[in-house]
Amino acid sequence: MAFLLAVGTSAVWAAPKAGEPLSFVSCPIVRDTRTVPCWLAEHGGEMYFLTLQTDVSAPVNPPWLGHRVLVEGVVSEEPSICGGRVLKPLTLSVMPDLDASCNTVLPAEERYDLTFEPPRPPGPSKGRLAFGDPAARDAVATGGPAMDFSLAYEFDGQVAFRHAQTLQRILDTARAAQVEEVRITGYRSATRLSSGEVMREREDIARRRAEQVRDLLVGAGLDSVKYTVRWQDRSKRPGLSGAENRRVEVALIARR
Amino acid sequence: MTRTRFVFSSLLLAMLAIHGGAEEEPGARSKVAGHVPEQNRQAQRAPAPADSATPSSTSWWTPGDERVLAPLAAYGNSFGTLGILNTGGPVVTAGHPFFEPIGKNGRACVTCHQPANSMSLSVEMIRRRWEDTRGKDPLFAPVDGMNCPHLPADDPKSHSLLLDRGLFRIFLPWPPKAADGTRIDPEFTLEVVRDPTGCNTHPVYGLASANPMLSVYRRPRPAANLRYVTHQKFGVFAFIGKNGLPASRDPETGAPSGMNLLSDARQPTLKTQAVEAAVTHLQFDGPLDDERLRQITDFEKQLYAAQMTVDAAADARNRARESIARGHDVFMFRTFWIRDAMHLNTVGLGNPTKRTCATCHGMHMMGMDVANGWMDIGTTNLPHAREEPLNPWNARKPELPLFKVTCKSSVPPHPFLGRVIYTQDPGRALISGKCNDVGTIVMQQLRGLSARAPYFSNGAAESLREMIDFYDRRFDIGFTEREREDLVNFLSAL
Repeated sequence: MAFLLAVGTSAVWAAPKAGEPLSFVSCPIVRDTRTVPCWLAEHGGEMYFLTLQTDVSAPVNPPWLGHRVLVEGVVSEEPSICGGRVLKPLTLSVMPDLDASCNTVLPAEERYDLTFEPPRPPGPSKGRLAFGDPAARDAVATGGPAMDFSLAYEFDGQVAFRHAQTLQRILDTARAAQVEEVRITGYRSATRLSSGEVMREREDIARRRAEQVRDLLVGAGLDSVKYTVRWQDRSKRPGLSGAENRRVEVALIARR
Repeated sequence: MTRTRFVFSSLLLAMLAIHGGAEEEPGARSKVAGHVPEQNRQAQRAPAPADSATPSSTSWWTPGDERVLAPLAAYGNSFGTLGILNTGGPVVTAGHPFFEPIGKNGRACVTCHQPANSMSLSVEMIRRRWEDTRGKDPLFAPVDGMNCPHLPADDPKSHSLLLDRGLFRIFLPWPPKAADGTRIDPEFTLEVVRDPTGCNTHPVYGLASANPMLSVYRRPRPAANLRYVTHQKFGVFAFIGKNGLPASRDPETGAPSGMNLLSDARQPTLKTQAVEAAVTHLQFDGPLDDERLRQITDFEKQLYAAQMTVDAAADARNRARESIARGHDVFMFRTFWIRDAMHLNTVGLGNPTKRTCATCHGMHMMGMDVANGWMDIGTTNLPHAREEPLNPWNARKPELPLFKVTCKSSVPPHPFLGRVIYTQDPGRALISGKCNDVGTIVMQQLRGLSARAPYFSNGAAESLREMIDFYDRRFDIGFTEREREDLVNFLSAL
């Protein structure tokens, strides 16, 4: 990770308006509620709502106490949740280094209770299947599967729990279509924080990501196809969100 | 490769050749796990008891006995009665490879998977066996029923881990081997900090030996309810839902495995597990033929174990039932903060996550998570593992080895323990070589707990109460006295 101080950093923060992009690194905060806990982060004197505790399949998974979190989002007009302004869309990246100062758990308060039913309760799941993915299997079985796939990553991240289902789709599709070649391209990204600082991913991350995806597909048994593995550095012109470029693209090439 | 190793590997490969008619997925490989040939070398090197004694008793099943396992066998224990449901009908043990001493040390599978102990083995049974046979039962074979095979025979101190905590020695090659036998480059370095058994530093059996091997000490898991444990349905895909890495596969069919059989997930199927167990625990040298493997795995798949009844007079029984029902509600619905548990808090739930016991122990009829996964809740990793600070006036000394693990700078630090980790058992990391897997253990089923104390993979909890107290301390739950009693009663009835 590389931090560069940009010229013209403002010392005075104004509350951002709806539609304004926001990127910052902060300690996450847990606020308990009557049902599931909320995840928040403070920045520039404002509290932002990040996500709720759900399960593996949530679109935005909660960060971790003991680590700072990179928040890349857009301020939304939606009503506050748990006392935090809503960011949508939003990506979160847990910073890999430990930070013991990130350790705030706030008690439940009636005024911050959720005004809606959470996707799943903290106890038994009421039938929600976190790991079930029949839809993905059906998509392959019923024909017309996409041949191009994209895996999104956290900052400096490699494959994690959230990639299992996409990798499964790639594997199933490659087998069903009897592909000849798998082309994998990994990318390195950077993010310009709202403070003006620039965070660049580690230099070799694009190669590591691409090679890891190849190795995992081979490890899962897709070992009789040709692999073409490339990587690109997209960190030269950082934007307020680098999430789009933290990715690996996989293209399956069918036999002619 | 020596000739012995080559011959053994070839035999194993031949044994695991694809069966005619089996449905094969792409990528199927006919190989046994890569670490087994090295284990075979050490097992054959270890002495085997020459003067074993194996008297039968009502509750002990002796290898080679001619008995019949009934469709339903019942055994009393301190909480009531355990039932072994044998759905395949009566099994004649004579000649059956689960019950026959097929190796050179006189043991059979049943030695460590006793019906009275829910197809596991309680420390109470182990101690009784020591007394009944004055340590001559093959159960105490030096290969793994002794703290290390070089120790003096017939001395209870040589078997202290088995007699005190019900632990057998598990010896695994270091650095680890992949399923295809290739060497894995670990993400960490490993030092032996404490070696009370002497095995990890022993010139023949240790890490610096000609066949470098690391020894850890673990409880035997129940050989029952295994149709659930090895299922191929919910949550079992080619990629593991908790880390995105490829699941290990059945070497015959290529199908992904749930990886829930052993505490470090090193064997994908009942068949591959049987091969390794024969080589290590039974000191069986060579391949098990297909017919014997079929008999063993068929038998394992037809057994179900659970506590059946609570023994008490009517009033007491009703009170016990009320407590069990309250314990159920605590188990299912009493929330607490789960924090800093590797492969639990890192799988999209957040750290901490507000959940219940049933979050992990919730599925498929036996209270374990049957999706692939292993986690570190602190049973083997410091600072949470059971360790007593030393003092010169205390005769008690640490019983388990202690390892220092240092994660290399080329990988991210462990998310909750940093770069340096002290552990009594590196768990899954001994197979994967991954820093994040240090001290992670595959969850095990909760059936028949009353019949098979002690608990946790390293026997750290002598009783159900101690097990509950561990969770209470680890996660700062704050169970009330009544909640603890109700949980003990609930768990004892499963």
